[in-house]
Amino acid sequence: MIDLLPHIINGLTLGLLFALIALGFTLIVGVMEVINLAHGSLFAIGAYFALTVIAGSWFAGTPFGAWWLSLPLGLRYVLALAIGPALAGLAGMLLELCLRPTYGKPPLYGLLLTFGAALVIEELIRLIWGTGEQNLALPQAINGAFLLNGMIFSTYRFFAAGFSIAAIIAVWLFLERTSAGAVIKAGAHDSEMVRALGYDLARLRLVVFGFGAALAGLAGVVMVPIWGLRPHVGVDIVIPAFLIIVIGGVGSFWGAVIAALLVGLAIGITGAYAAAWSTMSMYLLLIAILGFRSRGLLGRKSALEH
Amino acid sequence: MISLSDIPARPSAWITPPMIALALLLLAAPDLLPAIGLYQYLGIEIAIWIGFALGFNLLFGYTGLHSFGHGAYLGIGAYAFGLFQHHVAVSLWGGLFAAVLAAGIAGALVGAFLSHRRGIYYALLTIGFGQIFWFLAMKLHRVTGGEDGLLGIPRPPLTLGPWQVALTDNRALFYFAAALLMIMVVLCWRLANSPFGRVLQAIRQNETRARFVGYEVWRFKWAVFTLSAMLAGLAGSLLAMAQQSAYPDVMSLHQSGLVVMMVLVGGGLVSFWGPVLGVVFYFVARDVLGGLTETWLFWYGLIFMAMVMLRPEGLAGMLHGLLRRGSRHQPSSARAPATEAA
Amino acid sequence: MALFEARRIHKRFGSRVVLEDISLAFEEGQISGIMGPNGAGKSTCFHVLTGQHRPDRGEVLFDGQRISGLPPQRIARMGVSRSFQLMNLFDDTVVIENVMLALPSFRERRLRAMSAVFSDRGLIDQALAVLDQVGLAARAWDAAASLSYGDRRALEIAVALAAEPRILFLDEPTSGLGAEATRRLAQLVRQLRERYTIVMIEHDMRFLFELADRISVIHWGQVIAEGTPAQLGDNKWVRRSALAEATHA
Repeated sequence: MIDLLPHIINGLTLGLLFALIALGFTLIVGVMEVINLAHGSLFAIGAYFALTVIAGSWFAGTPFGAWWLSLPLGLRYVLALAIGPALAGLAGMLLELCLRPTYGKPPLYGLLLTFGAALVIEELIRLIWGTGEQNLALPQAINGAFLLNGMIFSTYRFFAAGFSIAAIIAVWLFLERTSAGAVIKAGAHDSEMVRALGYDLARLRLVVFGFGAALAGLAGVVMVPIWGLRPHVGVDIVIPAFLIIVIGGVGSFWGAVIAALLVGLAIGITGAYAAAWSTMSMYLLLIAILGFRSRGLLGRKSALEH
Repeated sequence: MISLSDIPARPSAWITPPMIALALLLLAAPDLLPAIGLYQYLGIEIAIWIGFALGFNLLFGYTGLHSFGHGAYLGIGAYAFGLFQHHVAVSLWGGLFAAVLAAGIAGALVGAFLSHRRGIYYALLTIGFGQIFWFLAMKLHRVTGGEDGLLGIPRPPLTLGPWQVALTDNRALFYFAAALLMIMVVLCWRLANSPFGRVLQAIRQNETRARFVGYEVWRFKWAVFTLSAMLAGLAGSLLAMAQQSAYPDVMSLHQSGLVVMMVLVGGGLVSFWGPVLGVVFYFVARDVLGGLTETWLFWYGLIFMAMVMLRPEGLAGMLHGLLRRGSRHQPSSARAPATEAA
Repeated sequence: MALFEARRIHKRFGSRVVLEDISLAFEEGQISGIMGPNGAGKSTCFHVLTGQHRPDRGEVLFDGQRISGLPPQRIARMGVSRSFQLMNLFDDTVVIENVMLALPSFRERRLRAMSAVFSDRGLIDQALAVLDQVGLAARAWDAAASLSYGDRRALEIAVALAAEPRILFLDEPTSGLGAEATRRLAQLVRQLRERYTIVMIEHDMRFLFELADRISVIHWGQVIAEGTPAQLGDNKWVRRSALAEATHA
């Protein structure tokens, strides 16, 4: 059992990061009633821009570039943690604008549009950053490994887990304790009601999309050392995200978090026994869950059901 | 927006003018393509994908069941054909039969699971199953050759009684593929306008009412899924012959997504011929645009997004609109179809 | 024994009991009415009778056979047909196809994948005959979506008729119709009673009282009154509702 511990920790860490992605995803589904198949691409945008921010590659060879690289890696990493999600958020808002002609039409169109966007973004990433696997340079403080009780643990995973917990709490505080958050939460449950109360639904949608996208982008930055960085990475994320909100229930904050931890654990533990099959386990889990219980653990009837 | 059921509410002949046009184009293709700067092999690719897309549209456009994982059945057909040649016998008809059978069984199993679900659950489950098949193709190394693919698939000769034709030449294979395609076209057309096809469309339009007038909706959904998988399998066997190999990539979400995009852009949501236009448009874009710029897929994706936003009726729908506007001086209002011998 | 019976139907949604111990009987050849205020459970009752919902307790019988718990398509094929209040039409196609799809002779051919539908003169004539009954024969080849509201209501009923049912359930057929259209609908219902047993949910009390042979009043999930229009005229609740309707007229 103790042998499983690293895998369990890996799984939980993965789960916490999934939770960030799923939270953004479920807010978007709640307010927009759109399944954002491009959510993974927003994740990827965050990750790739972080790469650029840290490596400064776009400005290589210029005085600015040289000055940029002279900045401490830790500072560049922190900036990446801010800039990556911000740009992902912008991309999300742009996507929302593209979605507007599809509102009021059958859900197929929104789905197709986000699907197309996912492809376009992936191609764009391929064109700008190339098709190969990339790596993020990490500051010394969060890199490497440490010993505990005779076992080796990756420092980064602890950082990632801690960071995610902090981020999840921050999101919760935002949604529960601020008035902006309250509007977003309300919008996720009943957008018509929010409009009736006088809020500009169009602006709400834009903000929610941006916010959800930024969360995905944030997860993207943090997840690179764990999940890898290649153009296809976005697509690989959407299925777990969807799976999580189905299990946890659309519109449920803690449902998403708990379900994310479960999915992460599932992947982590299958990783212990059959590493090659761990990603497959997600799809099998999806089929098992959707085959038998479509409303999730804590969810209510949602736009997912027509 | 107009829709599929708009366009023909009239008695349908077995053979229609667009079919004849297609047949003539196919006939001329091996000479036509090089003449416009393209290459002969493209004809085979286009024929294969038209077949795949037509079968797919029975599910997607006609029945309104949105499968984003249909590339899996194309791939299964290809692998089944290849494995039959390698392990059973080098035989054209045997291979085709194996491909259709394998894809059909896979489709029937997945379809049985899927057909009770709707909407987004349906779509995401199809992605899930598609990814599983892709994954299996990648991992079952000993059977499928994994990432390297199943190689060395022969092109068995076509034997009809005493008559035998070699298909090793691209031109010959093309004509065989074109002939199969025309048969698929005729059958799909007939099906779309048959009682079975009309019920499928009824299910798309109003599943509840279809149920309340007595149809076993689940069975129809299952049947059309299986059928479209079988047609995909047939197209897959041609693919295996054309490439002389089978790879996992056709089962990927990327390729499954491509056929969805081709069908929408072409106008599969409103027209039987939408998939045909869509496939041709895609391949022309790929080879003409792709010759000009490496970023062609990016532009194609943008075109797709623009179409979804602005012209979801696709190329066929836009064409139909132009033609209707052009003939506005003719009384286009309701008239009963002529029921003389079609 | 009545053609169609509901015995001690009990239905709840979550913790809310919507129908409590409801028993109804509809005699063959009669027009039966169901009325009651909104939220009283008459829609749910209708859904249970026609197979859209399964009762938690109790049973529904058609011609002596138990139909509760059967899927709606089975029940429909047995000869129970219904129209919908929020119309359920095949909006992407022409009027005549809406009707054709419901014809039993069309349904028999549902597996024929190679024969052409619109070449079949017999089917077309059958469909036209049904459309004629509701006065839509002239619009047979128009798009269903292009019809006026009143005509769509008529089509909604036509589709239910096309199935050649033994019993016809009409869900608030006058919903949204003006005075003239309601009059025409009443005439249609009178014509239909010669061939079909009819059950109607209605809000329009005058319509219901004019046409129904027997009316059941559902309130608070129970049948609180039942009888001929004349008998019900003396009922306290009915009188109060009639007064309310008159002041709103």
